[in-house]
Amino acid sequence: MATIESVAQPPKLQVSHLGKTFGDLYALRDINLAIARGEFISVVGPSGCGKTTFLRIVAGLEAATSGQVLLDGRAVHRPGTDRGFVFQSDSLLPWRTVFANAIIGREVAGQAGPAERQRTMELLKLVGLEGFEHYHPRQLSGGMRQRVNLARALAIDPQILLMDEPFSALDAQTREIMQTELMRIWEEGRKTVLFVTHQIDEAVFLSDRVLVFARRPGRLRESVAIELPRPRPLAIKRTAEFVRYVDHIWRLIEDDVRASVIEEKA
Amino acid sequence: MSGVERVEQAAGAHGGTRLRWPRFHYAGLLSLLGGLLIWELVSRFLVANALFLAAPTQIFAAIVALAKTGELWRHLYVSAIEFLVGYVLASILGVAVGFAMAESATMKRVMQPWISGLYATPTIALAPLFILWLGIGIWSKVLVVIFLVLFPVAINTEAGLRTTSERLIEMLRSFGATPRQIFFKVSLPSAVPFILAGLKLGIGRGLIGVVVAELFGSRAGLGRLIAQSADAFNMPELFAGVIVLAAAGIALTAGFGWLETRLVPWTRD
Repeated sequence: MATIESVAQPPKLQVSHLGKTFGDLYALRDINLAIARGEFISVVGPSGCGKTTFLRIVAGLEAATSGQVLLDGRAVHRPGTDRGFVFQSDSLLPWRTVFANAIIGREVAGQAGPAERQRTMELLKLVGLEGFEHYHPRQLSGGMRQRVNLARALAIDPQILLMDEPFSALDAQTREIMQTELMRIWEEGRKTVLFVTHQIDEAVFLSDRVLVFARRPGRLRESVAIELPRPRPLAIKRTAEFVRYVDHIWRLIEDDVRASVIEEKA
Repeated sequence: MSGVERVEQAAGAHGGTRLRWPRFHYAGLLSLLGGLLIWELVSRFLVANALFLAAPTQIFAAIVALAKTGELWRHLYVSAIEFLVGYVLASILGVAVGFAMAESATMKRVMQPWISGLYATPTIALAPLFILWLGIGIWSKVLVVIFLVLFPVAINTEAGLRTTSERLIEMLRSFGATPRQIFFKVSLPSAVPFILAGLKLGIGRGLIGVVVAELFGSRAGLGRLIAQSADAFNMPELFAGVIVLAAAGIALTAGFGWLETRLVPWTRD
C-alpha cells in the first residue's frame, strides 16, 4: 500500500518564503512551514521576534512584503470568515450583550439567521457562558470576556483559529483554568489552531508542535514536536517530560530574550 | 464552568481607610431648605426691603400670581418655542457638521477654524444684530440659540467619531467588515455618548441664549418678563422669571441624564 503516503492530506495552512519589513527593519525573514488539519500549533519567541506580525499576516490584517500564505490552497490577502481571530484584549463592543458580541462575525457576513443564532448559543454554552447571554461586557470578569472573545471567533465556524496571546492579561490562576478550558473546547471540534504566546509552558501544554521564533530578523528557529499524551491534565506540567520540553525551548530563546530585555532597558 | 471566576460585584470597590460618614439621603434637600430659610430671614429682618432682596415667600407668591393671570404661561410658551426650534435645528446641523468633519480630512480643515473660532466667540453679543436682521419676533432668538448650540454639538460629534477605539475597528475588520459596516457597528455607537454630552452642554447655552436675546428686544418670553420687572423695580417678579428659568434648565438636564442612562448604559461607572 505505497499509495497511502502519496495521497496524504494537503496542509491546512502553508506558509512559504514569508517576509515582512518595516522600513529597513526585517520583522520576518523567509518563514516556511506547513500546518496539518486539526493541529494545535503554538508560536513562541522573545518580544520583537515577529510572532504577532506573523499571525496578523495569516489573518490578513497586515500584508506580507514577500512570500505567501495559503489556506486550503488559496492565497490569503485580506481578512475573511475562514479565519477566526481571538484578540489579546477582548475587544468586545461594550454596548452589545454577550450574545450580540458573539454573533457579530455572522452578522457582518450577513448570515445571522436562526441556524447561526442557535449555533452561537451552543458555542456560548460550550465556552461556559450559558445563562450569561444577556449580560454586558462590563458585568463580566476578564476570564469571562476572553471566553466571549473565543466564542465570537468560533461562531463563524472558521477553518483555522488564530489566537494572539489571548490569556496574557489574565491572572495566573485564571490563565491555567482557561488553558484547560481551551483544551476541552478544542477536543470537541479539533479545529486547526495557531496560538501565539510568550509563555513557554502554556505553549507546551496546549500544542502538538511549538514553533520557536528568533529575533533580528524574525525567523523560525526550530519546530518542536510535543509528544505528550492527550487529554492532558494540569498536573502534566509537573512531569519530567513536560519540564524537559520547556527547558529545551527556553534554551533556544534564552540568549534572544536576554538581548531583548537589555535593549528594552537601554 | 469553573467556580473561580465570578461576575464582578460593584460593591467592594471602595473601602479601606476612608472615614465613613453615616449616609443621609436628605442632606441635599435639607441644605436647600436651610439656605432658603436664611435667605428669608435676611430678607425680612436684615434688609427689610423687597427692592434690594426679595424673600423666597414673596418670589413664590409672585410666581403664583403670574401663573394665575396666565402671564407666566404666555412668556414661558414663547421662550420654549424659541428654545426648542433653535435647539432641534442646531442639533441636527451640529451632528451633520460633525459627521462631515469626521468623514473627510479636507472638510475638517475647511470647517475647523470657523467652528473653533465661533465656539469661542461670545456670539450672544451679536443678538442685537440678529434682531436688526430678523426682527423682534422669535426667529432672531432661534438664530442666537443655533449659534450657541451648534458648535459644542459639532465638536463633540467629530471627536466621538474620531476617537473610536482602533482595537474595536480591527476586531470588526478581522471578520471582513466593510467600511460602511465599521461605521454603523462601531464608530457610530461609540460616538453616541460624545454626541449626547454635546447636546447636554447645549441645553444650558441655549437657555441663556434665549433669555439674553429676549432682553435685547422682544414682545414676550421669560427674558421680556425679567426685563419689564426690572424696569418696574418689581424684584419678586424678576426673581420669579429667573427661578422658572433655572427650574427649566434643571428639568431639561435631568431629563437628559435619564436619557443617557437609557441610551448609553455602558458609560456608567
